[in-house]
Amino acid sequence: MHWLRALWRSFFDVREGEGLRTLFMGLYLMLVLFAYYILKPLSRSLFLNKFDIDKLPYLYILIAVAGGLLAYVYTKVALHFSLQVAVTSSMVLTVVCLVGLWWLIGLGQAWVLYAFNIWVSLFSVMLVSQGWLVAANVFTSREAKRLYGLLGMGAVAGAAFGGTFIAQTVSRIGSRNQLLASAALVVLAYVAFLVVVRQKGVSLVAARGAEAETEEFQFKDILLAIGRHKHLQVIIGIITVTFIVDVTIEYQFNAMAKLAYKGDKLTAFLGTFYGIYLNLITLALQFFLTGVVVRRLGVGGTLQIMPVTLSLASVATFFIPGVTSSASLRLLEAASRYTLNRTGMELLYLPLPAELRNRTKAFVDIFVDRMGRGLGGMVLIFFTAVLALKPTQIALVTAVFSLAWMALSRRASREYLATVRGRLASRRLDLTEARVSCDDPQTVALIEQTAAGENPRQAVYALSLLAETTGYELTPLLEKLAASRHAEVRARVYELARARAFDGLIARAKEEHAAAGDSSAEQAAAAYLVGLSVESAKTFLNSPNIARGHGALDALAAQPSLAAETINAEWLRAAAADPDPRKRVLVARAAGLAGGAGASIVQQLLEDADSSVVRAACAAAGVLRNRAHVFSLTRCLTNARQRGAAIAALAEFGPRVCGTLSDILADETVPAAMRRQIPRVLKLIPDQRSVDILLQAIDHSDPGLRRAVLKALNRLRESAPKLSFEDSRIAGQMQVEVRRYCELNAALDPFRSSKNSGEAAGLLARSLDERMAQTLDHLFRLLGLRYPQQEIYSAYRAVSGRSSEAHSAAVEFLDSVLERDMKRLVVPLLDAPERLLDTGRNLLGIQPKTAETALRELLHSGDSWLAACAAAAAGEMKLRGLAPDITEAGRIVGDVGEVARAAAVALA
Amino acid sequence: MAELNIIEKVIALEGVELLKNLSPEQLSRIASIAKEVKHPPGKVILEPAKPMDALLVVVDGSVELSRDGDVLHVAKQNDVLGAWALFDDDPMPVTATTVDDTTLLRIARDDFYDLLSDNVEITASVFSTLVKRFRKLVEQ
Repeated sequence: MHWLRALWRSFFDVREGEGLRTLFMGLYLMLVLFAYYILKPLSRSLFLNKFDIDKLPYLYILIAVAGGLLAYVYTKVALHFSLQVAVTSSMVLTVVCLVGLWWLIGLGQAWVLYAFNIWVSLFSVMLVSQGWLVAANVFTSREAKRLYGLLGMGAVAGAAFGGTFIAQTVSRIGSRNQLLASAALVVLAYVAFLVVVRQKGVSLVAARGAEAETEEFQFKDILLAIGRHKHLQVIIGIITVTFIVDVTIEYQFNAMAKLAYKGDKLTAFLGTFYGIYLNLITLALQFFLTGVVVRRLGVGGTLQIMPVTLSLASVATFFIPGVTSSASLRLLEAASRYTLNRTGMELLYLPLPAELRNRTKAFVDIFVDRMGRGLGGMVLIFFTAVLALKPTQIALVTAVFSLAWMALSRRASREYLATVRGRLASRRLDLTEARVSCDDPQTVALIEQTAAGENPRQAVYALSLLAETTGYELTPLLEKLAASRHAEVRARVYELARARAFDGLIARAKEEHAAAGDSSAEQAAAAYLVGLSVESAKTFLNSPNIARGHGALDALAAQPSLAAETINAEWLRAAAADPDPRKRVLVARAAGLAGGAGASIVQQLLEDADSSVVRAACAAAGVLRNRAHVFSLTRCLTNARQRGAAIAALAEFGPRVCGTLSDILADETVPAAMRRQIPRVLKLIPDQRSVDILLQAIDHSDPGLRRAVLKALNRLRESAPKLSFEDSRIAGQMQVEVRRYCELNAALDPFRSSKNSGEAAGLLARSLDERMAQTLDHLFRLLGLRYPQQEIYSAYRAVSGRSSEAHSAAVEFLDSVLERDMKRLVVPLLDAPERLLDTGRNLLGIQPKTAETALRELLHSGDSWLAACAAAAAGEMKLRGLAPDITEAGRIVGDVGEVARAAAVALA
Repeated sequence: MAELNIIEKVIALEGVELLKNLSPEQLSRIASIAKEVKHPPGKVILEPAKPMDALLVVVDGSVELSRDGDVLHVAKQNDVLGAWALFDDDPMPVTATTVDDTTLLRIARDDFYDLLSDNVEITASVFSTLVKRFRKLVEQ
């Protein structure tokens, strides 16, 4: 029985809470199709019996024109009312029309047969399309992918019942009364619809086409929307070609049928053809193939099947003409259109925003359907009336259009993915740089005004902009703003004057020092003066005003050759012994500029007791890049106050420090606090060696280190995309993380109900839950090393967020993008979290656990936090079977041992 | 009574609003710097004149908060005294006195800062809680 259930589920995967929705949605579609397949053979046989075959292309064109008008009216209704009201209105209108036609046909007028055919063709599109629109609002995209096969089967069953019904009853109740039978079925379909909308969680109130539009909605607005969305354009292209091909094939089929049958025999043939032959094939396709094909080939592959097979079959029909071959071609075309193509097309709509989808779907389905048929009619008139081709030769025309269809389907597949990506990415804020263009005089005047204004930050920004403006004479403004009352403006003025070697501010700069005002202005003034005359540097370095010393160093940093001459070892040694840490910071900085003479001072200051001095020494070591400093720098990694500077300094060494970092990372005797920082250094060195070292540590047992490694790899992939990320290690680690995720879930399961309790079992459940979230984060980080990172990150945000629609779209995206081996591992975890236990058992052989087995495994897992939680939970739950494990854990030094000893007391 | 182990400390810290967004494992790191302190009844643990340099969590017993002799509140199990002391060293204008035998967890501000500098996720989470609290105040 298990295999039977598995087989059933592989085709139709209906989950808890979806049963009634799916059943009545299927019934709704089935009854609509039932009614339609009574009307379809009836209308066509009445027409063919009354008129010659050459009138058929004109009927197609009439259908297109009348259909266009009705589409406009219908769209108006759909846009101004909720979907529920639109369905009710169209159902009532349909029943009224059916009763009216029943009466008119009784009068025996020939024109009524044209009207009847036009109306029947509209019936299919309006009610069936509306049914699928309801389905798209009742199910999420993930549910739809599983359930649309089943819904499609309901539709196919309805069509089979309709065709069989008319073939069996036309001789008994007559043609005309079939209209009343159809009306009764439409009423029943409406009842099924009402049951659907009353299901829990279903609301069609918000599903209205024009909710966000103005009252003055125009036809052109829909065309504009289509113009904006390539995805919709491709959908329209495919539907158009589909119906051109449909018309050419139907024409061939009708011509052959008319030659072979007359009167009631033609009606019976058409009823039997549509009701039995066509639907047997359609049912078989739907039951055995559609769901599997969609899952295996995705949207793109599914849409390719129909044009490929039709092009081949049309060529075959050309060589073997007759009612059998044309009926076979028609059979193939209609069956695949209602199954594979219909399902593929409905999925193609799903990634579109709901508002856009609802607003234009009815329009596209009705109008483009008509337009395709109208174009098909014109094509037929051209080839049969102008070029005088015989019906058998039309097969070649069909083959040519099928080739165009293939190209469009390929494009549709690409657009589908692009639309899904766009939806995911749109959740992220896109910051754009907003710099002002200052090339025109008006803008320059405005910026000058700002530079002279009272807001110092804006003034500094404006000054910087003017400094970058080509051809702008900055010095008059610098002279003017050197008198600014804002110190940060003056500081910027001196910086710009120094950069330009402008000597017009010397007096001002000296006044700055005499006034002893703000340190930033003083520092910039000193730098300016040293920039003009390096002799003043020593004076400033020895000044008790440290800011001036830094100003001198700013200037010397821009002239390294002068720096080495100006800063001598003697001064460095003497100043490094200064008790003022601010002075030692200055010395550390100077040592970095002094070249080889400064190396020993930097080493000395890396051991300084003051963290600000050590940070400055780290920066100097980064400038000198002397290997003698590497050991001290790595030691600084364990100090939170020095870590940032040490990381930056080590990164300055570049790839040549990678070997040392690799040794530290792999050395288990080195404190974990230091090793966890190594990935932070490596991520700043965009070199293949960094990637290789990090990949070696990707499976480290310390979760914190593993996470740091993954973060670093993600960063490197982003900053240096050309580096090679070894696929096999990533794939291997993916498997490890998936197994970990399933094992954590199995361990969590016995404690899930305790999750909100304030006791140890609850704490354990919350900790396991958190570990699962971390593991999921690791999984997505690994995916980010193989696939586009931004999109994978967006998918991660969606699956870990609260929106079921976003979750569904993300899983759909992953399902489309991931390769088969990755998809097999990842998608089941996200698609059916409630069945994760089954997934773990089926995919990885992980058996469900009892509380005792779960706790035992956690106690021995090597994860100290989970082991501590497990020991506490075991004591709390009095699980005496775990006493030996608890005793063993009690021998561990640290928190786990302490908790285990307390648990042992509780168990005693 | 035995000293609290790390699990018991974490369970106590889960009740602290400021730390409510932290995962149990992150709380275990805070628990590792939380010192257990026991006081007899009637002990004054906070005074208006003394600046606070730690957050206190009531694990067992109760603490009376009063101003100018008027009782404002009685803090019981899982209640917190001085959450803001982690970020502001101004003294609180209240006196806190133990009512019963009381056990507290004391998280010193300096230790907390060191922990934050080593655990950026904890910092982000604490900031997130503070921002939400501030937003709520603004919306009121």
